Amino acid sequence: MPNLPQRKVGIVACSGEELAAGTVTRLASLKVLEELRPSETVTICLPLFLAGGEGDRAFAKFYPTIAVDGCDKRCAARATELYSNKPAASIVVDDILAQHDLPAPQGLRRLTPESRPVVDALAEAIAAEVDHLMAVRWSRTDGAILEAAPAAQDAVSTAGCACGSGIPMTTVQVAGRSVQILALEPILDLAYSQGLRADGALPGEVLQTVQVYNPIPAGEEAVYAEALTLAWQAYCEKREEQHNG
Amino acid sequence: MSKRVIIVPCSGIGKSYGTVTREAAYVVAEELRPETTTIVPLSLLVLGDEDARTAVRDADVITMDGCKLACATVNVRQAGGTVAKDFTVLDVFRKNKALKPQGISELNDGGLALARALADEVAQTADEVSAGGDQHA
Repeated sequence: MPNLPQRKVGIVACSGEELAAGTVTRLASLKVLEELRPSETVTICLPLFLAGGEGDRAFAKFYPTIAVDGCDKRCAARATELYSNKPAASIVVDDILAQHDLPAPQGLRRLTPESRPVVDALAEAIAAEVDHLMAVRWSRTDGAILEAAPAAQDAVSTAGCACGSGIPMTTVQVAGRSVQILALEPILDLAYSQGLRADGALPGEVLQTVQVYNPIPAGEEAVYAEALTLAWQAYCEKREEQHNG
Repeated sequence: MSKRVIIVPCSGIGKSYGTVTREAAYVVAEELRPETTTIVPLSLLVLGDEDARTAVRDADVITMDGCKLACATVNVRQAGGTVAKDFTVLDVFRKNKALKPQGISELNDGGLALARALADEVAQTADEVSAGGDQHA
């Protein structure tokens, strides 16, 4: 039985430099990552969504994320949804200030000591959301919380990415060499759930989605497609066996 | 009076180098060249905020990146901006190998000193860019 990767929650902070609240989002997110929930969280660089961070986009597509914003523009929440998937939770600093009756934070480069309670309160709120998201069941195909559904199906031979992000990596044989494909398992999950089946050919949608998160070297499209076809057929066979058995 | 030079740090949250760019941007905009430079948050550019996009299109931009993915430079260019000079922390670190940055929430002394070294280079470039702009005005 393959080992499923440990699920983690991604934290996307706006880190806006113009507002003290932007610095608060950064420091609170790092406090969750480094102190409060180090085993359950990863941080995601927001600018990487546009700059070609395939791993970050893949993570946010298939795993729960918490967007943490310093103002109502909600750059982190909106950009995450725009380029990947809707965040599972969205927190704005102003909401935390209102909930805890705290003063607006001061200081851009260095927060004032009086602003530290805002960082602490925001970090606690993020950690509470992490706990909630770790407790519920998460659908990688829908990118949303599962209310009540059957137990999760087996994965294609997959392990967690070595970067520790929790993104599944699947090893396939491409022209005789082992190649790791990022997020192949949830991509196949998604295709299967959409009614696509292995009728001998690889669905174009699968190849296109794989290419979003995995750069395929020029001239190797055909051998990659061949390898992905085999993975797709094996996946469908396993799903059919589960369905029939 | 010429327009302010726009400073865009990557502010990456995964490594110390990202914090070095953030710190350096503040050093330039708050201490070294407060009258001639201003910071545009990268998060606004990622979102496609029209004011931020207009700002980088209408002025000379200096970017600072913490890793080879060059998020700041890539995002400014995708927004239609012209990057007058792109700095990477690694290049500055190679020239100042004693200044090893550590920490993300809070930089160590080496990281703060490295940020200042980067800021000095950026400020000098901002002067050159401003002077060039005046000549063309």
